[in-house]
Amino acid sequence: MSAREACAPRVLALVLGALAGAPAFAAHPDLTGIWQAISTADYDLEPHSARKDAPPGAGVIDGDHIPYRPEALQKKAENFAARDKLDPRLSCFTLGVPRDNYYPEPFQILQRPRDLTLIYEFGNSVRTIHTNGTLHPVGDNPEFWLGDSRGHWEGKTLVVDVTDFTDKTWLDRAGDYHSDALHIVERWTPIDHDHLAYHAWIEDPKVYTRPWTIDVILYRLKDKNIQLIENYCYTLDFDQYYPLPAEDFPHAQ
Amino acid sequence: MLNDASHAGRARAAALVALLASACLVRGAVAAAPIFTVAEGPWTGPRLADGQPDIAGVWTNDIANHNNFTDPQGGIPGDPSKGLNVANGAGKGPKKPRSERAPSRVSDPADGEVPFQPWARARQQELLANFFNPTKPEYVEPGARCAPAGVPKSFYWHGYEIRQYPGIVLFLFNGGIRTIYLDGRPHLPANIKLWNADSRGHWEGNTLVVDVANNNAKARFARTGEFASENVHIVERYTFAADHYTYNAVFTDPTVFTRPFTVTIPAHRITEATPQDEWNNEQEWANRPGQPPLYENYERMCVENNHGHGNVVATASAAH
Repeated sequence: MSAREACAPRVLALVLGALAGAPAFAAHPDLTGIWQAISTADYDLEPHSARKDAPPGAGVIDGDHIPYRPEALQKKAENFAARDKLDPRLSCFTLGVPRDNYYPEPFQILQRPRDLTLIYEFGNSVRTIHTNGTLHPVGDNPEFWLGDSRGHWEGKTLVVDVTDFTDKTWLDRAGDYHSDALHIVERWTPIDHDHLAYHAWIEDPKVYTRPWTIDVILYRLKDKNIQLIENYCYTLDFDQYYPLPAEDFPHAQ
Repeated sequence: MLNDASHAGRARAAALVALLASACLVRGAVAAAPIFTVAEGPWTGPRLADGQPDIAGVWTNDIANHNNFTDPQGGIPGDPSKGLNVANGAGKGPKKPRSERAPSRVSDPADGEVPFQPWARARQQELLANFFNPTKPEYVEPGARCAPAGVPKSFYWHGYEIRQYPGIVLFLFNGGIRTIYLDGRPHLPANIKLWNADSRGHWEGNTLVVDVANNNAKARFARTGEFASENVHIVERYTFAADHYTYNAVFTDPTVFTRPFTVTIPAHRITEATPQDEWNNEQEWANRPGQPPLYENYERMCVENNHGHGNVVATASAAH
């Protein structure tokens, strides 16, 4: 993380705290709620014109483009060409971090002092961001689909260090990808009660020439009685066989 | 998620200790094995800020696993394997006479049997008879395809974590989750059917009462093939003490059963004193040097890792 990455939100927090007449922020913000991105980030993080399979978008990357290493750019191109077959989303696999946060389906944040629980409706994937001072696991080099998340608060910003990734997830539908060396630092900052600024600093020396960042706004879903609706997408492939063929239920015919 | 073979010989003694240490022993309907029962009453333990009894933590079933619904320690009838015991004495086959094994998970009616209508009983027997050699897609127990275990099987599958928030009780199972809303909101529209159903709860003293609707009934109750239809309505009562709870759930489904029946599942808390066993206690040690040991929950994936869980038969051709 650059000095700018590390310090800017902290300075911002102090300034805002001073403006509010408060001694910085006494309590952590409460991120509890059901959130969803509206941007086209999941279609393509980079700027793109309209395609048959994607609405246009101005991109969410600082500097517009992912700084792929030359050989990695070739693989990205191959992924893009075969995106209608290779996107892990099509297998209903857990989308991973950061993609789960801007995929166009809601997710729920539940918050306690020791952790935040993020439930992504797509696949009902459960992610825990530990905020109890614990460190990344050591020893057995685990590889997680959602990474291992350890967070702390800097003013009103939740800063999350995410490591121990599998290399099997994509970053978007356009085939943007990473390796198991992926390392992400997320910054979750409330803008107001109903908007969250999501910032991710992304490094992967096997795939990118330098770290890069994305910024996405998350919106609180406020529909009456809003709740996540279970979406175990992968079960749809065998849904027809259960509970039993309909003809087996004599009273249901 | 691991299949049973990897758990062979890892049955842990804690559940038995819990049984022996229990202060309130009752006799099961069929068998002589004692069950720890928590009586409904006031809650005297700690509370959360919103007044809920604080029951957050990791919990697990006391007895056996998902092999057999009405004879939990009886193994799966017809099991051709010669494996050793797996979790909590749920052997590949019965190791003791029925009178010495744990009682049925059905506590009412008194005979411990699911009150199936004749056609449904015949279908359950057919599913059981074809469990080890599934020649039709519907013979494959859906858990072998990474499907959520549903209600009630999630409670005698692996251990699970309960997290609590104002107005919400959240269950994190090895496969799947349940979010129980306590704010009085209505159920989802009736035509939305879910593997883990739709849950609305409230607290009565030490008892969390949950109304369960919108069940797609695709999950089976056990490997022995018991099932309901998507018309099933379930009322659960989770009665908590500090380190134990008793689950009683009344299942009503006139489509499949001749009368309502009650499922009873005793459970206990996993603590940092509980050994890891990759079944009941799948917690991992948090990395925090210089501080007391602390368990935490790793992410659980199944379909992503390209193998089923609890899959004791070769189902590849049928499953795909």
